[in-house]
Amino acid sequence: MATDPGPFEKVYDAHVVGIYRFVYARVGNHPDAEDLTAQVFVRAVEQLDTEREPGQIAAWLYRVAHNATADYWRAFYRLPVIGADHVAPGWEPADDGGRPRVEPDDRAAVRVQALLRRLPDQYRRVLELRFLERQSVAETARIMGITNGNARVLQYRALRRAALLGEPTDG
Amino acid sequence: MADDERRDEAARFDGYLEALLGEGRPSPESVADRDEAEMARLAAELAASAQAPAGTEPDPAFVEQLRRRMREADAGITAVRTPPPVRSQPAPAGTSRWRLSRRDVLRAGMGAAAGLAAGLVGITLRERSEDGEPLGGTAPLVAGEGYWAEVAAMDELPDGTAIRFSTAAFDGFVVNDGGTVRALSSVCTHVGCTLHFRPDWQDLRCTWHGASFDLAGRLASGRRAWRATGAYRGDASAYPIELPDLVRPRVKVENERVWVWTAQA
Repeated sequence: MATDPGPFEKVYDAHVVGIYRFVYARVGNHPDAEDLTAQVFVRAVEQLDTEREPGQIAAWLYRVAHNATADYWRAFYRLPVIGADHVAPGWEPADDGGRPRVEPDDRAAVRVQALLRRLPDQYRRVLELRFLERQSVAETARIMGITNGNARVLQYRALRRAALLGEPTDG
Repeated sequence: MADDERRDEAARFDGYLEALLGEGRPSPESVADRDEAEMARLAAELAASAQAPAGTEPDPAFVEQLRRRMREADAGITAVRTPPPVRSQPAPAGTSRWRLSRRDVLRAGMGAAAGLAAGLVGITLRERSEDGEPLGGTAPLVAGEGYWAEVAAMDELPDGTAIRFSTAAFDGFVVNDGGTVRALSSVCTHVGCTLHFRPDWQDLRCTWHGASFDLAGRLASGRRAWRATGAYRGDASAYPIELPDLVRPRVKVENERVWVWTAQA
């Protein structure tokens, strides 16, 4: 009898991987992705009405995930730090009338790939070595024939240029 | 020299990238301004897209662990909302036996929620709401029977140490904080993970997400508190939000023995 998942667990099973990937695509590391995914489902077990339509449930979850990642980046922007109350009552996304709106979780990936193509060769190369091939700074410097310090400066400048090229993401 | 400055900022920002690309938890401390925050976000998205698709999957152990916690939370919430007949003793007139909202329970920690659902007695949540009122009022949250449980001897608990204890209804630590003995829940008020005592930091640390509580049960790794005091030596960036205090049961020391007020199971 205890083996039959309840309504909430069915929601969890249906969405945990999707929510995780959505969040991971925006924060780029697993410890924070786990943290934010847990936050989303803590909010859900507390507030989500599991009797809503599946489309509404998905829309609700992804909007909470969207807000969670926006809050995460706010910490990096040094905006006023938000307490648990911030992510609490007013944090629940408004019900937008029930039109399901599941965010594609490859939006961020498409954007960065497009950005890479617009960068000068040296900038694109240093980012490819560091991010796609996961080379260390020392190895990147060796491959590119520059010093470690210059490799760090190059990757810094490349990211700055790319950030200037890119439109701010939605979270 | 401008070049030296550029080199310094590039080296500092590389701290963010090293953590990100090393599958660690990057810290906002490596990010100096809004421009660098945009760079950090771009780097995070780039790192994620480079891992797709297989590397973007959650660890199955994490998924199972979170599922168990959610199941317990869901059961605890249901139990609190629909109380089982724990004891035949009627609640005193004018008091509500079950007065926690779902939200209160979650903020108190899911482990605590399970304890409450099992009839936890005599524990007052320390958390205060916006207007300064303790959640659930100052009365014990649940009326009923409790007892003093002996959990440690004072000679086992010198200054600056903590001892883990477990009663049928409650898991926690007794700590000796400069001569003051306290009992604290061992359940993190974030998602209900178990805290661990770190003697070198004099804190209770959640290994799951890095929250850290001081020996009074207050969040010690909150950036606001850390910035305000400048005193905390822990990793303040690891948990950049606020959390409720740990639940603190009543404690007493008699005849060099430490007792904690706890519920009948």
